[in-house]
Amino acid sequence: MSFTIYTATGCTRCKIIKQLMHERGIAFEEQDMKAEGKEAFQKFYAANRKAIFRGPDGVEFPLLHDTEAGNIHQGIGACVAYLYGGGKLDSFFSVGTLHKEWVDGIHVSGGNSEDAKGFLEVLRYIKKTNNMKLQLDTNGLNSAILEQILAEGLADVIIMNVLGPKELYSQILGKEVDTAEIEKSLSLVSKFPEYKFQTTVTPVVRGDGEIRYLTTKEVGGAAKLIAEATGSMKNPYLIKLFKPKECRDERFKDIEAMAADALLPYRTAARAHQVFVEIEKA
Amino acid sequence: MTKAITELNFIDDILYFHEHTWAKVEGDLVRVGITDFAQDQLSNIIFVELPNVGETYRKGDEFGQAESAKTVSALYMPVSGEIVEINEELEEAPQNVNEDPYGTGWMIVVKPGNLVELKELLAKEDYLNQIK
Repeated sequence: MSFTIYTATGCTRCKIIKQLMHERGIAFEEQDMKAEGKEAFQKFYAANRKAIFRGPDGVEFPLLHDTEAGNIHQGIGACVAYLYGGGKLDSFFSVGTLHKEWVDGIHVSGGNSEDAKGFLEVLRYIKKTNNMKLQLDTNGLNSAILEQILAEGLADVIIMNVLGPKELYSQILGKEVDTAEIEKSLSLVSKFPEYKFQTTVTPVVRGDGEIRYLTTKEVGGAAKLIAEATGSMKNPYLIKLFKPKECRDERFKDIEAMAADALLPYRTAARAHQVFVEIEKA
Repeated sequence: MTKAITELNFIDDILYFHEHTWAKVEGDLVRVGITDFAQDQLSNIIFVELPNVGETYRKGDEFGQAESAKTVSALYMPVSGEIVEINEELEEAPQNVNEDPYGTGWMIVVKPGNLVELKELLAKEDYLNQIK
């Protein structure tokens, strides 16, 4: 493999990736976009801008370009994962938008449970070796990995996306889901020092083939599922709006967005089971 | 770090649009770019997305965007009209916008659809008052 790393002067995350590459004896060329690598970064950006993620504060660094394989990894989690796993851990990570000592874009349910060992090694490297704080998310799948994360104290914050009531999980994920695993994850999440449950009012492909948003009753069912699995009605719980423009699923891109105040009846339905429920502000 | 207004360059023989683009009348055409103030706010520009020749836009429409590592900024038409030329050199050298915003950093040439709109643009002093 042959690597170019695009960095920004003073970027701590870039230093961590360079250090890891040194430790592993991986040769690389560095292009600092604020110094001598300005022109090289400009060319790289122009050629790859559709694949480069921009967060609220602009381009996230570092960017690791495997010039032989022709792929790009961006952000600390994805870069460390690629250096550890050579691509097989990719789906556990995305770029993330948190800054300073916080790292997000870490998806416990994103990859295969068989790759748990490598995934946990990445978390240990970022958190234990480099003292970063990790915000992880899960949809309830891969509960065994979650259990290990809890046991080792590898997450500072965990957010669980409760996709809907138990009976809709397989339909929403488009595959057979063992709901006992979802219940186990709900219970585990509530044991982390800082956690939050959230449900996005998503469109669902119904049995008749039509696409309709989750109903208030179904979100109430999700809140009930949380209560039953955690044994508590007092969990932090957020109901969020679905944003069609940000959706990667082509089937849902053209669906009409809900108005922010349409969440109010969802909150009412959920409050019967989770008293601290809040709705996302527009 | 952005510069103080007094450190920036504003020239006399162009007209200024409140959305930080400039227009220079050249015969029956209008050359368009962004002001020194705008390029300074953007910092190091790494990509400029420009429209296609032949497309038409109204005054105030977004005709493209300038991207730096920190931000993406829309570019706005100071006048209505048809795009008759774009600065293709910016594809290879977007830094020209930072280095010479009124010269090699120009962006498009427009065949104006409504000459009255030129009279609605700002003179240098009025634009300076707006950004102060």
